Amino acid sequence: MKRILQALGALALLGLGVVWVITTPVALTSAVLPDHVADLENGKLLFNAGGCISCHAPGPDVKDVAADVPAGGKPLKTPIGILYPPNLTPDPQSGLGNWKLQAFLAAMQQGLHPDGNHLIPAFPYGSYRSMTFGDVADVFAYLNSFPAVKNQVPAHEVIGLPIVRRGLTFWKWLALSQPVWKPDAAQSDSWNRGAYLVNGPGHCQECHTPRTLFMTLDTSRAFMGGPHPEGKGKVPSLHGLVERARYKDAADLVSAFQNGEVLGYEHMSGGGMGEVQGNLSKLPEADVKAIAEYVLSLK
Amino acid sequence: MFSKMQWGLMAGVLALSLGAGVALAAMSADDAIKARKACMKIGHGGVMGVAVPIMKGEKPFDAAALKVAFAAEDAACKDYASLWGVDTQKGDKETTHAKAEIWSDPKGFEAAGGDWYKADQAVRAATDEASFKVAFPALGKSCQSCHEKFRAPLQ
Ligand code: HEC
Ligand code: HEC
Ligand code: HEC
Repeated sequence: MKRILQALGALALLGLGVVWVITTPVALTSAVLPDHVADLENGKLLFNAGGCISCHAPGPDVKDVAADVPAGGKPLKTPIGILYPPNLTPDPQSGLGNWKLQAFLAAMQQGLHPDGNHLIPAFPYGSYRSMTFGDVADVFAYLNSFPAVKNQVPAHEVIGLPIVRRGLTFWKWLALSQPVWKPDAAQSDSWNRGAYLVNGPGHCQECHTPRTLFMTLDTSRAFMGGPHPEGKGKVPSLHGLVERARYKDAADLVSAFQNGEVLGYEHMSGGGMGEVQGNLSKLPEADVKAIAEYVLSLK
Repeated sequence: MFSKMQWGLMAGVLALSLGAGVALAAMSADDAIKARKACMKIGHGGVMGVAVPIMKGEKPFDAAALKVAFAAEDAACKDYASLWGVDTQKGDKETTHAKAEIWSDPKGFEAAGGDWYKADQAVRAATDEASFKVAFPALGKSCQSCHEKFRAPLQ
């Protein structure tokens, strides 16, 4: 009996060891990055399309910092606890000042922190990894153009955070093995532009697509709506918005994205959509039109 | 139309009812929820129904139609202050999209109501298309700001 217990114990330890080894994040190899001349204007566009400010806004006790500077710390309530999205300004200690583009790419495309930890997917890197290298590099350049704000954000209030981070290995195996977004040659340029903005930076699926048992996006039900990922209320489907008479036509949906409730569009306010709408209203009109064209092609 | 004093009184009563957590009127939760949804949909919604086409340039500025809509809003929202007691977080049969934040952050909710009141007064004071178009965006924004924080998605 004792031997069996010992054997079982040894097996369990071995199992844990294996789990520990396979959940150790693998950092990016220092592959040579393509040459790139940063375009700040494009970086700003993708920063808005990506809605970075909705989460990385300055927290309530950050003084004298404009609301559109991503100094971090605004609490984000999630079912696992309260998260404090970090400071993205170029402060060397509390922000991204010491980050290289390589590290930023690893965060945006693989959910990896330079210290080797997995990042919590409330940061929607599952979608951002569909962004092009050039666009990610431009966002990085744009972030570096902000004044450096010293703001060390509070630690996340999540029970067993280190274990949660380890556990993310399994989630990432599933979630990051889903294909990234690819253009469809059979469609128009504007449709593809809209599809890219929606599925990549816009991360619309993170809310509008229901999740599987394993909390990955259920792509077989893409954009069909469902429970809100932050825990309360429902997110509407984006299929058949014209057929269901929610919007008259593409121009009406463009107006809704640009104006939201300011022009009486009732379904653009709650559950985070108000901030998404505010971000979309900052995009060039051609991009908003492209997004509407793509969304209305979801029948 | 309500006088400034009446609105002021209402704001005060609202503060009281939220702060002390007492339901002032002897009203069931269902009645309160029904009444506040009617204020939103018929009252506020009615104003939007007249105002938005003017904003979009689909209809000319129409002071008379606006006046009617604002009067209907006053009527539909007349017991506003008494519709948000802590015992109305859930209805019996009536569904509600009111978020718990209304009761955990009463100051914020009051401020959102105050922003709406100011913007609403400014739109009421508009006398022509130009002044209306300057005043209106703040009113729409006030609906959105309150809904972002205090109303769950409508579905
Ligand atoms: C829905 C909320 C949300 C959005 C939108 C969002 N982030 Fe984040 N982000 C987070 C959270 C939460 C974390 C912390 C994750 C962790 O600690 O594991 C984070 C972490 C990061 C990190 C790692 C920084 C560090 O110090 O650990 C980077 C870089 C980052 N985000 C960049 C961005 C950029 C760029 C955008 C816009 C394109 C963006 N984020 C949009 C929530 C968000
Ligand atoms: C943080 C979660 C979240 C994200 C991200 C998000 N949405 Fe939404 N969206 C919602 C919620 C919740 C609603 C319903 C709001 C309400 O009823 O007040 C909504 C409503 C909408 C509506 C109105 C639907 C209707 O029936 O009228 C459209 C259109 C829409 N979203 C498009 C988008 C697009 C395009 C994106 C990406 C650029 C996006 N959403 C990203 C949560 C989100
Ligand atoms: C001070 C906060 C606040 C302001 C200002 C506000 N609302 Fe609301 N609104 C709410 C809340 C809370 C609900 C959910 C009520 C419920 O379901 O019990 C709601 C619900 C609604 C609904 C849905 C009603 C239904 O039938 O379920 C509509 C439509 C609406 N509001 C329109 C408006 C418009 C238009 C304005 C601006 C003119 C406005 N609201 C201003 C808080 C506000």
